[in-house]
Amino acid sequence: MAAVLEASDVAKRYGAVVALERGELRLERGEVHVILGSNGCGKSTLCKIIAGAVPADGGSVVLEGRSVAFRTPLEAQAAGIATVYQETGLVPTLSVVDNIFLGQEPGKAGGRIDRKARYARFEMLIGRLGKLAAHLDPDTLVGDLSIDQQQIVEIIKALSREPKIIIFDESTSSLDRAQVADFFALVRALKHQGTSMIFISHRMEEIFAIGDTVTIMRNGRFIDRRPVSETSRDELVNLMVGSALQQMIEARQSHRQPGKPVLSVARLSGGKAQGISLELREGEILGLGGLHGQGQSDTLLALYGGITRRGGEIVIAGKQLGGSTPAAALKQGLVYVSGDRGRAGALRGRPIIENLIVGILSKSSKPIAERGKLRAQVRPVIDQLKLKFGRLSDAIETLSGGNQQKVVVGRGLATGPTVLLLDDPTKGIDVRAKQDLFALIDELCAGGMAVILYSSEDMELIDHADRVLVFNTGHVVAEISREDLSEFALNEASLKTAPAHAEQQPAHV
Amino acid sequence: MSDAVLDIPSRNRTRRSRSFWRKPWLLSAVLLVVFIGINILIQPRFFSAYALGNIITTMLPWMLIAVGQTYVIFGGSIDLSLGAIVSLVNVVVVVLITALGGGPGAMVLGMVAGLLLGTLCGALNGFLISAFRLQAIVTTFATSIIYGGAALVVLPQAGGSLPTEYFTVYSEGFFGLTLPIYLLVALILVAAFVATTRYQKHLLATGGNRQAAFQTGLPVRRIVMGAHAIAGFMSAVAALCILGVAGAGDPLMGQAFTLGSVSAVVLGGTALAGGWGSVTGSIIGAAILALINNIIFFSGIDYIYQAIVQGGIILAALAAGVFASRRQK
Repeated sequence: MAAVLEASDVAKRYGAVVALERGELRLERGEVHVILGSNGCGKSTLCKIIAGAVPADGGSVVLEGRSVAFRTPLEAQAAGIATVYQETGLVPTLSVVDNIFLGQEPGKAGGRIDRKARYARFEMLIGRLGKLAAHLDPDTLVGDLSIDQQQIVEIIKALSREPKIIIFDESTSSLDRAQVADFFALVRALKHQGTSMIFISHRMEEIFAIGDTVTIMRNGRFIDRRPVSETSRDELVNLMVGSALQQMIEARQSHRQPGKPVLSVARLSGGKAQGISLELREGEILGLGGLHGQGQSDTLLALYGGITRRGGEIVIAGKQLGGSTPAAALKQGLVYVSGDRGRAGALRGRPIIENLIVGILSKSSKPIAERGKLRAQVRPVIDQLKLKFGRLSDAIETLSGGNQQKVVVGRGLATGPTVLLLDDPTKGIDVRAKQDLFALIDELCAGGMAVILYSSEDMELIDHADRVLVFNTGHVVAEISREDLSEFALNEASLKTAPAHAEQQPAHV
Repeated sequence: MSDAVLDIPSRNRTRRSRSFWRKPWLLSAVLLVVFIGINILIQPRFFSAYALGNIITTMLPWMLIAVGQTYVIFGGSIDLSLGAIVSLVNVVVVVLITALGGGPGAMVLGMVAGLLLGTLCGALNGFLISAFRLQAIVTTFATSIIYGGAALVVLPQAGGSLPTEYFTVYSEGFFGLTLPIYLLVALILVAAFVATTRYQKHLLATGGNRQAAFQTGLPVRRIVMGAHAIAGFMSAVAALCILGVAGAGDPLMGQAFTLGSVSAVVLGGTALAGGWGSVTGSIIGAAILALINNIIFFSGIDYIYQAIVQGGIILAALAAGVFASRRQK
């Protein structure tokens, strides 16, 4: 088979940050080629260069024997390369059909859009997607669609351009299990027609389900290329993170000895959380588990004052929590960090340093911010988090996703909290950044800080929590001690229902 | 793949009717009816041919400029120099027609030159904004000072006069209908046509998510520049219409139109952030502003309090629209 596309020695830097040092990809006709690597490894940058969204600084891209250097996405599209972006590719204020045919609307005289022809072509495309797009209404505004439906619109949009090569950038991350199966059926059909596909995914099982070849990248470099049938999960993880780190992941932290009580919560309600009571000791990591959205996040937010509390008593280090706002919680050493860095975390467009010190600033009562002192205060946090950056004055967007998340966590840690509330802090960041984060948290816990950790990943709770409270429909339905903690125990407990006496406040429907 | 095709359930088409309730101009249409009602109450002869003709003549420049502003706002930009463009075209046309002797040929030439000048001014705004990625608000504020200053150079004081044919044709029109009525119909038809074009779709896409529009391959810079050029052209047409009533040049004539056009656009339900709205709404919004003027004029309010009352009513109309649309969502 001849390679449809061959990229070699592709490089890209943004200011001082090297996003891609030596990107390499050999894509055969009709294959599904997976690019695997942790966040910040350069796979997104490589795809953007191939798609014409960013220009490369060096290296070559050869498409069907012809050397190309796309300056705009339009040029790449004209050459038959379509990209299914994760989020940025759609216009929320336009309808589904508007978006799909944007820029290539079937036309009538005078530059008018031929609406009938457009609907006809829409129906044809929908037919190719089968169940996946069965309920998609062409006239709904894209902004009114759920995320998974938007992703499906993105896929149809790419298909409508009849491309030779499709880049799927984490296209499955917002789809549910059934949708992924339908999507894979589509991918196989495209493969039979000779379409080549580049596939980025963080889900290991998907790589084995759909991939033909896998390219592994690390730190902006091409590491290796393997046929999927001749590799294993362990081998891929090893290639991805490097061997030393792999050992670190496997090394479980030692058991800690919790100290005296530091936080006590009685009958706290707010949002979905119903009458939550808990005790937290110095140096302890208390996990919150269960299925998604059972009131874990709302418990943390209600504690912090991020949502309105409906009753409940909170005592921090012997003192009643005096107020219901985040500012009051912060004053008493209660800090909340969300994994949703886009919405609740990063101050976009602002320098890294500002993002780090804003926590200290809102806690202190000094009217003047002293630059030098503040820098000194955040320096240890930066070192401990192994933050990778150009200069502290660079905008936070210059960092990779994992490093942005570290900054958001670091902001909370720099205030020296008594109790740290972590709301799914590692959402969307890679193994290495996770490891750095937890290493720091463990260290701070050894110094007496207490943590409540909600995680959507069971393994994270098993690795780090001293005990876990399992939630179901807003109530704590089980407590699992460290000795009994296992994936099986967590799953079993998550299906329990609340005891009768906890049902005093029925949820409003 | 063939078995997948059999699996499609019958698609739900009833949702399409729901999109009617999301038309941006719907709320402004309700407001229009309310204000027409108030006008009839205080001016019983509102529907007489004479009164209607009059009010359409005063509305027309507002509508033209508001429509131009709408396209700019669709694309996620804004133009604060439209009023200054009106002033500049206004005086240049008067001076030019006078200098060329005031005959029919001079009038045609002067009008064509005015339209060209307005379009160029708009295009320059668009060029500065898209080529150098300047902020639209500040850029057009600066160019508005330049255009307004140029108008004062051309004609330092209000004056000059046009041949009488210019405004008799304008106010008498043809077949018993005044020219503004024909122009209003033409404006609505052209706007309706543009609404079906690729261009308007691409403009809305650019305003709705510029990054997405760029990645899709749309020439976003040219699209935004085009919208500014259209707005400049519409402002020039408005300047010619104003001359048809005033008959003389005034270098400060256009000032009120700049923010007035933005108010009309917002009253019409178009999002200032771009990407969402309707030209129909802006035409209705401009009509509402004119009706508010009319109410003030006929209400017998003391002259010195008129501006305060007028501002209050505009604020109330805006607030009503905003609260209603919040409830809707």
